[in-house]
Amino acid sequence: MKRYWVFLLVFVVAIAFGCSQRAITQPETQPAQQKEQTKEGMESKTPEKVTEAKVGSNVESVGSKEMEIKGQEGKWADILFDFDKYDVKAQYKDELTSIADWMTGHTGATLSIEGNTDERGTNEYNLALGDRRAKAVKDYLVSLGVPSSRVETLSYGEEKPLCKEHNEACWARNRRAHFVILGGGK
Amino acid sequence: MRVGAGKITVAGSLSMAALCFLCLLLTPSFSSAKIFIDITSPQARKLPIAVFDFQGPKGKEIADIIRDDLTFTGFFVCINKASYIETASQAFDPRNWTPLGVDAVVKGTATLGSNLAATVTLYDTLEGRAILKKQYQAAEDLLRPLAHAIADDIYTALTGQPGVFRTRIAFVGEKGGRSGIYITDWDGHRMKKIGLRGSMVLSPHWSPDGTRIIYSAERGRQWSIYLLDFLRMTEKRVFTSAGINIAGNFFPRGNSFVFSSSRAGTPDLYTYSLAAGSVRRLTSSYGIEVSPAVSPDGKHIAFVSDRGGSPQVYVMDSDGTGIRRVTFEGSYNTSPYWSPTGDRIVFAGRQGGRNQIFTVKPDGSQLVQLTESGNNEDPSFSPDGRYITFSSDRDGRKGIYIMRANGESQKRITPRDLKAFGPRWSPN
Repeated sequence: MKRYWVFLLVFVVAIAFGCSQRAITQPETQPAQQKEQTKEGMESKTPEKVTEAKVGSNVESVGSKEMEIKGQEGKWADILFDFDKYDVKAQYKDELTSIADWMTGHTGATLSIEGNTDERGTNEYNLALGDRRAKAVKDYLVSLGVPSSRVETLSYGEEKPLCKEHNEACWARNRRAHFVILGGGK
Repeated sequence: MRVGAGKITVAGSLSMAALCFLCLLLTPSFSSAKIFIDITSPQARKLPIAVFDFQGPKGKEIADIIRDDLTFTGFFVCINKASYIETASQAFDPRNWTPLGVDAVVKGTATLGSNLAATVTLYDTLEGRAILKKQYQAAEDLLRPLAHAIADDIYTALTGQPGVFRTRIAFVGEKGGRSGIYITDWDGHRMKKIGLRGSMVLSPHWSPDGTRIIYSAERGRQWSIYLLDFLRMTEKRVFTSAGINIAGNFFPRGNSFVFSSSRAGTPDLYTYSLAAGSVRRLTSSYGIEVSPAVSPDGKHIAFVSDRGGSPQVYVMDSDGTGIRRVTFEGSYNTSPYWSPTGDRIVFAGRQGGRNQIFTVKPDGSQLVQLTESGNNEDPSFSPDGRYITFSSDRDGRKGIYIMRANGESQKRITPRDLKAFGPRWSPN
């Protein structure tokens, strides 16, 4: 039995050697009219069926259904930031103090701070930057005594520019934190 | 296998099965035929090839697609039809081609019945014989995929490498203030919008098997990560929290992905297991950590962090340890993505106030700049690593572009009236 397996092994090696030799042998140039030959495996007997999974244009959402939420805007001016920065500048201290006071007087109100960036930079980084800007303003308000649970943040990154021109004057207006009152603001 | 067939009768049927199995294992070495161009060599010469218009209906259309595919690779020169001596209906004769310096000739026929059918023969003019003969069938509206499938086979027969001509690119398109995911063939044809709700969508990421994509969208004042299943055409929210949630790409096994979330305060990196529905935190820093990209072997993650004072590309082990900085030039380097072999990272870096595409080795050496005009962002590699897709505003409105991995042949593939960004090449 053992001898048989040795035979089998030699046989297989011989085939492998023979075959790989076949593959690298370059036949001499053949007359054109000779019957066409193709290498083994390169010629298909049955046609390849080229198919494609159909991508529909209607996607069914399963599970969650998000609601559109509208808030009250324009009560306070935007807070602006320097390029690629997310620290709140000292000049906005008075405005933020008045927002904190208003929040104290309107305990039913929830405030949403929307963080935005200019169009320079890349989408994902700008979304993160907008998030940091909104959070920086929120942290300031919380430090003034506004409960954290009543301040939400939402980043739009560079996706929702206020001004659509491509210059510094416009970019400066877009690097902003924007205030939206959600419910209870009456 | 054919060689051994006569002698196997000595052995029993069991050993014959074993032998066939062994032969099957060895088969790849059988078909490792002559390589006409070694495209792995930087000095690869362009191979002169003649592609006849296929005989029959749609024959020219099919041949045009094949010629465009082969030409874009940069490895082939399609010889002008006017210089052909042989006609399509004449039998192939190498003596008609070698004087022209043509190395390979493609002839084919096309027929249109209930289906579109094509036959193709690829000839090697030096050996004077056919090296590929194959038939194809497809529904009539799949003419382009059929032609791309033929181009893939020709490419493989001549280079020994798989082609990417049937791959697609997913990206974010925006028209009239609404954005959504679009999918197009890699050459920009057959662009299709997938109907999704929501006003803001970010870059899609393909699952390794190409049947699903994940992406982030803002709906109801909330950023969540969604999973779209192409086979079922369903979309499901898989992760949400307060703050931002930005999907990165899948791990190689396709059952988990990496993402950036500010759920714990600042944007940090996490992994999400689809099977377990569990989240694991990878980084915790005061600043921004965003745009994570898993390496092809799943062992490393490239990402962007501002921990050094400006956004730069870093690499860490996929468990969050061993963080090291990759980019040092310039003050704004973002959007890293790995090559399929993991030997290079492509990213967008700011130079002279504009974003350009660069590649670098993961150890930070061999920085190469690939683009020069406009703002160029969101780069990612094709599955064979030979091409890069990216977005650019060089022609006005931001659109999707492709180029060879060395920066050659930069070409816009999306229409000018569509704002488009965040392209990702399909894995298959």
